[in-house]
Amino acid sequence: MEFLNNVFVAPFQDMAAAPDFFMQVVWEGLVSGVLYALIALGFVLIYKSSRIFNFAQGIMVVFAALTLVGLHEMGVPALLAVPLTLGVMFLLAVAIERVVLRPLVNQPDIILFMATIGITLFLIGFGEMIFGGENKVMITEQLGIPTGSFEFEPFGGFLLIEQKDLTAVVGAGVLVLVLLLFLNRSKMGRAIRALGDDHQAALSVGISLSTIWVLVWFIAGIIALATGIVWGARAGVSFALEVIAYKALPVLMLGGLESVTGAIVGGLAIGVLEKLFEIYWGQPLLGGNTETWFAFVFALIVLLFRPQGLFGEKIIERV
Amino acid sequence: MADTIQSSPWTDDGIDPGAVLLNVDNISLSFGGVKAISDISFDVCKGEIRAIIGPNGAGKTSMLNVINGFYQPQEGTIMFRGKERRSMKPHQAVGQGIARTFQNVALFKGMSTLDNIMAGRSVMMKRNLFWQLLWHGPALNEEIEHREKVEEIIDFLEIKHIRRTPVGNLPYGLQKRVELGRALAMEPSLLLLDEPMAGMNLEEKEDMSRFVLDVNQQFGTTIALIEHDMGVVMDLSDRVVVLDYGKKIADGTPDEVRNNQDVIDAYLGVPH
Amino acid sequence: MFYRISGQFKTDYRSDHALFRVRQDAVLMGIILLFAWVIFPFTANEFVFQALLIPVLIYSLAALGLNILTGYAGQLSLGTGAFMGVGAYACYKLVTIFPEMNLLVAIGLSGFFAAAVGVAFGLPSLRIKGFYLAIATLAAQFFLVWLFEKWAWLYNYNASGAIQVPTIDMFGIRVAGPTASSFVQYYFVLFVVTIMTIFAINITRGHIGRTWKAVRDMDIAAELVGINLLRSKLIAFAVSSYIVGVSGALFVFLWRGAAEPNLFDIPLSFRVLFIAIIGGLGSILGNYLGAILIVALPVILNILPEMVGLEINAAVVEHLNIMIIGALIIAVLIIEPHGLARFWAIIREKLIMWPFPH
Repeated sequence: MEFLNNVFVAPFQDMAAAPDFFMQVVWEGLVSGVLYALIALGFVLIYKSSRIFNFAQGIMVVFAALTLVGLHEMGVPALLAVPLTLGVMFLLAVAIERVVLRPLVNQPDIILFMATIGITLFLIGFGEMIFGGENKVMITEQLGIPTGSFEFEPFGGFLLIEQKDLTAVVGAGVLVLVLLLFLNRSKMGRAIRALGDDHQAALSVGISLSTIWVLVWFIAGIIALATGIVWGARAGVSFALEVIAYKALPVLMLGGLESVTGAIVGGLAIGVLEKLFEIYWGQPLLGGNTETWFAFVFALIVLLFRPQGLFGEKIIERV
Repeated sequence: MADTIQSSPWTDDGIDPGAVLLNVDNISLSFGGVKAISDISFDVCKGEIRAIIGPNGAGKTSMLNVINGFYQPQEGTIMFRGKERRSMKPHQAVGQGIARTFQNVALFKGMSTLDNIMAGRSVMMKRNLFWQLLWHGPALNEEIEHREKVEEIIDFLEIKHIRRTPVGNLPYGLQKRVELGRALAMEPSLLLLDEPMAGMNLEEKEDMSRFVLDVNQQFGTTIALIEHDMGVVMDLSDRVVVLDYGKKIADGTPDEVRNNQDVIDAYLGVPH
Repeated sequence: MFYRISGQFKTDYRSDHALFRVRQDAVLMGIILLFAWVIFPFTANEFVFQALLIPVLIYSLAALGLNILTGYAGQLSLGTGAFMGVGAYACYKLVTIFPEMNLLVAIGLSGFFAAAVGVAFGLPSLRIKGFYLAIATLAAQFFLVWLFEKWAWLYNYNASGAIQVPTIDMFGIRVAGPTASSFVQYYFVLFVVTIMTIFAINITRGHIGRTWKAVRDMDIAAELVGINLLRSKLIAFAVSSYIVGVSGALFVFLWRGAAEPNLFDIPLSFRVLFIAIIGGLGSILGNYLGAILIVALPVILNILPEMVGLEINAAVVEHLNIMIIGALIIAVLIIEPHGLARFWAIIREKLIMWPFPH
């Protein structure tokens, strides 16, 4: 009885008793949710255009952030370091297309997936060798991101919202809007979507595979840099954070591998739910640190009931 | 060779030749709002070759999928070997003696011809994990016993030379033949063939027609087939059922169907 | 010239189902076994035992387990490390609850715990496929490692949160614990790995192995030829997890001597996956080739610069190691997606044809 009470009643009483704290938890969850959504978005973009399950997306985030901070440490001014980092990400996209994707075109999905694991490892080794493995501080102020915080007093309580988090949420929103406009309105964007529907058909109407792939991986690189800045501002920059990049995977399970909406909604949902679960169930009942697995287990359970994910279409199998 | 197979329990399904083996009654199937099959009934008698024809999208493949349990119809019943059923799992259908081939070859591409056909005997192989771990003894004996049957089929279909070739490397016509072999390995009392001659040249079609007739005559296997080549259909089949837009529009001997006005309209395209 | 197969005729199906259809393969196998069972153990020093021989065997076994699931049954798993952990913790509990238990028996039993957990996490595989399933196996990975950390009963409430292998004797010989000799431990591991390999060869060439490959190549067609998908997949999960669990128990009891929960975290899963990929998915031999490469690479990278008189610090060696493995995976996938095992198959083919090119 007490157990049932602890699981089903007490957490909600706690939420009602301290609504300001509840709001704080939801806000923190939303901010990490934005990060998950951004990583997942880079991922969806690549999957949509090339059917490649890009395991390296999370590492590209760390790599981009590390390059930015590393360049700044070498004496490059912050505002020059950003375009330089973008240049590096572009070179990376070209290199990946030339060295990895082009020779592996038409291979089964699983082979390409494993190749991206190879890319992941290579980037980890390469990044650490050049920039070192220790944790670095993101050059938040130098980039002109405000670092103060807003304080509110809802329900007579206390709610703290850091300005850099708010910047992150707004920035991510703008990035997503630009991306959607690009995909839906521009000629290149339409080509990317066409490629996702049918490679052969897209090729036959004269869309160049190589160009599109470089472009898509470069866009994924831009998203990675944006994510890296936001995320680095919160937690510092090092490859130890790659674990958090795995969080994008349950988001994809939940939202579907091809759905931009799914990535955003799934990311936000998982960000908020895992925080709530950790604070109200995990810490009091399970000894805490449930954020390592909650998202995966949650996505797994949802998928058992909806194998196509929340936003995927129902699969009709044919023979 | 044929004698050894005839002595096996292939045809021993308790149904007399000429009696109804499969009866499809008022079957309807839809996906969401799309009606693939509406209210179709027909029967297949033991020992005959029954053709299902119709223009593209008429619901022929869906019909086969319903018969072997891959799709569950929303309405109607299926009577097979005297037993009525509505829904079942595909592997149960195989257990009852229904085998099939596919419109687009559905072989196990990474496996050899031999292994593909051996896979057709999965239902009959019973030695469990324990015996498999030991291998020598019962598991190996069972393997060899089934290998002998499979070699008979390989002989019959004249594919001895490609026994150990991975099927992914075979030309299309041979793949179709291996697929037929895999279905035969299941020792079915009802064999469903989904466009067995699609994409073949004349010579390959003749070969395949001969195999279909031989299977029917030597093993007494009842066959239901979908085919677009009208010449083949009219030569091979005993009776023909014609579907169009998910409905049955004709049923009868090849000659009856050939002269049916609805059928002619369906194929020549009269506005509905 | 040594690989002449002409004149070796099969006159019945029994001989056609023999493991070595060509005499020379059997001879080659004999030579390998001679090295593994006699020459290596009697010539190796402590360093070679601990840095090469024992880890190669244990990693090969783990990769073999993964390969059954991923290479044969086509179910991609990213959670191998956690299942090794289940085997290790189960073995630890068994030997601490029943101190009299023979270590071989304890390790054999601990595999069953891993198999049970594997089946539980394999259940979704009927509804969840492909990459979605791969992500689902990460649920097992993260959840189990968290459990190893939080469930204090598992590590007998040690203050350190780690498991420490006790001293264990078998038939009067010390096999585990800090004072056990590498020589004995090598033979122990070799014995278990040999038995497991024989089982794996048997099951993959039999009809259960055939149903796995059918499910891997085309699950819908497999279902329509009468294979029960759920059953086939669950057997694959069980057998695979059993082997992986046993390798995990060996990993801790016969090699590491102690383990913290994060030892079984995702880097271990990936290392095993790389061995299976580089070695060759869908092959038994490949696991050994892959393990030799992955285990030996850092050792060589450490020794090589010293030998040529270069000084490279340890961190750089580690980064270089990661980079090379990453590049190696990509290279193998591009040159031969079926891995090192296929290289050997091609070489063998050439030897048979030699001196003619075709």
